[in-house]
Amino acid sequence: MSDLKAGLEAYLSDLWGAPTSVSNLSRIPGGASRETYRLDADTGGVTRGMILRRDPPGSLIETDRRLEFLAYRTVHGHVPVPQAIALEADGGPLDRPFFLMERIDGGTVPSPFVFDPYGEHAAALGRQFFTTLGKLAALPHEGTPIRQVAEAPAPEDCWRIALDHWSGVIEADEQHPQPIVRAAIRWLRRHPPPPAQRVSIVHGDYRTGNFMHDGAGTILAILDWEMAHLGDPIEDLGWAFDPLWNHFDEGKVAGLIPPAEAVALWEAASGLTVDAKALAWWSLFNAVKGQAIWTSAAKEYRDGGFIDPILAISGWYTARRHDVILAKRLAQLEGI
Amino acid sequence: MTPALPDILRGNFMSLAIPGPPEQQGEFMTGRVGVIALLSLLAAQEVERGTQARVWENAAIAAVLAEAADAYGVQYAEIAAIEAADLSLEALDRANAALRRGLIALHEAVEAAGDLLRHRMIVGLYGQMAEKRNLELPPLPAR
Repeated sequence: MSDLKAGLEAYLSDLWGAPTSVSNLSRIPGGASRETYRLDADTGGVTRGMILRRDPPGSLIETDRRLEFLAYRTVHGHVPVPQAIALEADGGPLDRPFFLMERIDGGTVPSPFVFDPYGEHAAALGRQFFTTLGKLAALPHEGTPIRQVAEAPAPEDCWRIALDHWSGVIEADEQHPQPIVRAAIRWLRRHPPPPAQRVSIVHGDYRTGNFMHDGAGTILAILDWEMAHLGDPIEDLGWAFDPLWNHFDEGKVAGLIPPAEAVALWEAASGLTVDAKALAWWSLFNAVKGQAIWTSAAKEYRDGGFIDPILAISGWYTARRHDVILAKRLAQLEGI
Repeated sequence: MTPALPDILRGNFMSLAIPGPPEQQGEFMTGRVGVIALLSLLAAQEVERGTQARVWENAAIAAVLAEAADAYGVQYAEIAAIEAADLSLEALDRANAALRRGLIALHEAVEAAGDLLRHRMIVGLYGQMAEKRNLELPPLPAR
């Protein structure tokens, strides 16, 4: 029996007050910032399908698993997500912090780097994807679980807080000078966006590859809430629109639907409007944020002994893609 | 840039050579092998174009710095004179790091001076630098 299986059985037996056995424990590919496993937990003849999210020794991004856990709890019932079951911030018998969720079976999560993954269902999934994001922007968050750990910034401060954070990550983790992203950061500071129309729950990584669908046109779950925070909801729209996630189709966002349709759906669901200048600012910002994440991945790859290929491809291929995206956006914004 | 090509290739070896626990076999290992295959494909591109891209970029940045030295200070001419000791990726990257630091400082000075012509020229250079370094991912079919 593996250490992980034994640790889970001990933890779940204690949690539910009854002997629990774990079977079909298997790590799922992806999940660069958390180790993700599926498992079946059997207690007294009742079997529950579960997902374990455990902190890795090295991670693509430094995030707070308590925040992710509380984000799931906050949006459950409003946005399609699995139910969060238990959080162990100290790691307990699994050595590293983790949390457990219910498992949603029967779905698929395509890689963001494949061609046309949604086929004939792209339009239907796109309508759900951007409507769901609009609903998240409209969701009241006062008194919800996420407010235990996430402060609400003033509307006029959202951009500065986000930019300070991610430019600080680049400053801390950069191993080779990056003139393009630094020029983009300076541009963003010189041209602040309008204040947020509403301070909302921001998913933080809302994109293709982070939702599960049933293969027949229905989204089953929005996943990976580890970068959730409160801020300007246009931030999520800018990230979802990033060309890195377009599945080789420049006419569609996230490989799903044309950008104008996505904006219209989001506006209808959120009750907010998308200011073109705000979207341009948050789009450039998101390319900076992406570059910060890839910069950290490169550092983690080195610090971790070069053994996680997900960190390698993040710190190498996607970093260079985002340099291209950043340079193009800067040239467009400067009228070059 | 980081990670360097030798890091990637050594990492590929390590990630396959170190046996994982039972729960990390099957689907996870299949996914890992797929990523390693992609890395190998991109590594081939880096072998083919990486040296040329670095030599080009170093010369292009040096030219911008040298040209700006009269207006912005002799330190930029000194940085522009930095050359790689040889054509290894490591030596080219070492020189590139110094040149890029110089370019960052120059661009900040150019922006502060409101020197729009030079600013636009540097932004244009960024586009060329990024394109030369770009790695092409093939449009793989979804599984």
